[in-house]
Amino acid sequence: MNDVFLPDIATLVKAWDETPDTKTFAWRFRDLKGGKDFHFLPGQFLELSVFGYGEAPFCIASSPTRPDALETTVRRTGQLTDALHRLGNGDEVGIRGPFGNGFDAEAARGKDLLFVGGGIGLAPLRSLIWNALDERDRFGKVTILYGARTPSDLVYRHELKEWEERSDVELLITVDWAAPGWTGNVGVVPVLFEKVTLHPESTLAYVCGPPIMIRFVVRDLLARGFKEEAVISTLERMMQCGIGKCNHCAIGHRYVCRDGPVFNYSQIRELVE
Amino acid sequence: MVFAIQRPGMAKWLEKLLEGGEVIAPVRGPCGDVVFSTIRSPAQVIWDFGNPLHPPKRFVLPQTDPLVTIKRNGHRHEVEPIYDDARRILFNVRSCDVKGIAFLTRMHEMEPADASYLRRANRLTVISLACTTPCPPGFCVCTDSGPFLSDGYDIQLTDVGKSYLVEVGSEKGEAAISVVPSLFRKATESELLKRKKLETAARSHFGQETCHFASAMRRISTGRVQDSLWDKMSDWCLECGGCNLICPTCYCFSVKDLRRDGTWIRCRMWDSCQYAAFTLEASGHNPREHRKERMKRRFFHKVSAQYYTRDSTVGCVGCGRCIKVCLGTTDMPAVVAAIRKGKWHE
Repeated sequence: MNDVFLPDIATLVKAWDETPDTKTFAWRFRDLKGGKDFHFLPGQFLELSVFGYGEAPFCIASSPTRPDALETTVRRTGQLTDALHRLGNGDEVGIRGPFGNGFDAEAARGKDLLFVGGGIGLAPLRSLIWNALDERDRFGKVTILYGARTPSDLVYRHELKEWEERSDVELLITVDWAAPGWTGNVGVVPVLFEKVTLHPESTLAYVCGPPIMIRFVVRDLLARGFKEEAVISTLERMMQCGIGKCNHCAIGHRYVCRDGPVFNYSQIRELVE
Repeated sequence: MVFAIQRPGMAKWLEKLLEGGEVIAPVRGPCGDVVFSTIRSPAQVIWDFGNPLHPPKRFVLPQTDPLVTIKRNGHRHEVEPIYDDARRILFNVRSCDVKGIAFLTRMHEMEPADASYLRRANRLTVISLACTTPCPPGFCVCTDSGPFLSDGYDIQLTDVGKSYLVEVGSEKGEAAISVVPSLFRKATESELLKRKKLETAARSHFGQETCHFASAMRRISTGRVQDSLWDKMSDWCLECGGCNLICPTCYCFSVKDLRRDGTWIRCRMWDSCQYAAFTLEASGHNPREHRKERMKRRFFHKVSAQYYTRDSTVGCVGCGRCIKVCLGTTDMPAVVAAIRKGKWHE
């Protein structure tokens, strides 16, 4: 029996600013319990602890195809994330996980992939995006629609640029409010649907962002002929244990930490209590 | 096999049990109320008592349960699991509380199993005292958790007059009587008959108006409880969380780091699904912002068919403590009755 609450120690390799309040952290394990390997799927999450501040769930933002870096992207919004943002290179945190079901990358094989992200909601999608791009020939068309409130809220700028330049990826970006110098799209994410050609029958849509964005994006996708099973999202709850025991993330008799966090829209509709 | 022990032999048995480790039993506190407490001598044990307001839950799941020590040495941290290896005997526990502990153990055995809880539970021996006179607020007949038990205990005692009947339900129970085997003999036919009569009599104590889960379960599980009813009921809830804290089957928790003697201790602490902060996320988003949603959650977890199918029982042992503790009268039987009848008392 393992100690389900015992974290592994990881050190901060480096951290960089994404936006004024958001940073991406790259972690490396100092020593893993029993020398095991750390395997994860895109869409899974970690319980990350800053010692003395407690533990909170964060999605893994890096791809399993690049195993030397384990990355999380975190917005500074409370005590624990504030402490996290103050860490320097070499500082230690505790990591438990990975938890949750993750995206089913096997089921996506041969399909066209549509990623719709809002703000920091691009983080869990980034894991799957790089997974798909690193195994590019296994997937069809890759389309990324990304929106943020203002140009300065866009995360992963270097990667956005890289995706924009790649011929095998279609990337469209929009912001709710333009700033001086912004020449791109303005408007909420669904405005981008007008600018791309979608093939609902052969596409899986991955949606992640603030709840209000998810609601409108899902509505539009269904109206455009996507099946409920083809619209996939990851849910967010205040998961404290990651193993379906603490009940913080329960919706009905389902647990976001164990049955999710990835659900398709037809499953989400069944989550009632 | 069912054994019996003569009444005077009880003190001697308890003395032997005390030599082997901690014995916890209901005792009369300084102000006259009955509480579970570690005993020092058999004389402290009481035999005629109403069930303590706090269940013995904390002996398997302490309110603050230390899980991991975090030691810091410069920039380097070391984490170590904390184990509670104490052997404890719970003595004179009522049937509902035995079922409560069994329920908690099932929850923590579910994969992935919780080693910290199970270590404590596996070292706990539960000796129950069957309820020959059921307590007034209890409705254990509705939840199959009393007044007499057919399983779940290590030992079940029944007061049959001059002696106690001793039903052994597990190896831990066998070990508990083996400390002084000479005190125990085979139960006689008349003792067994007496037990049967007592159980029938105890069951007949419960009136017709207890707690009818079945129709409430149908409504809750299919979302057929009117929103306006939740609104009305939750108007009466004071969000004190008392129902969760005294409930033998509630086990929701939060994980926090506490500072103790210069090190951080990661602890599991009881939490309550009735608190607004239970589901609050750092972003400010709260999926269960309204009291009625939290109340709905509590009763869905305890009474829905979805959970009944998973756990093979309702999340209630019919002890009636929520009736005693709830100032807003939104206790289990009241809410179940309101859902069944479709209306709340005004």
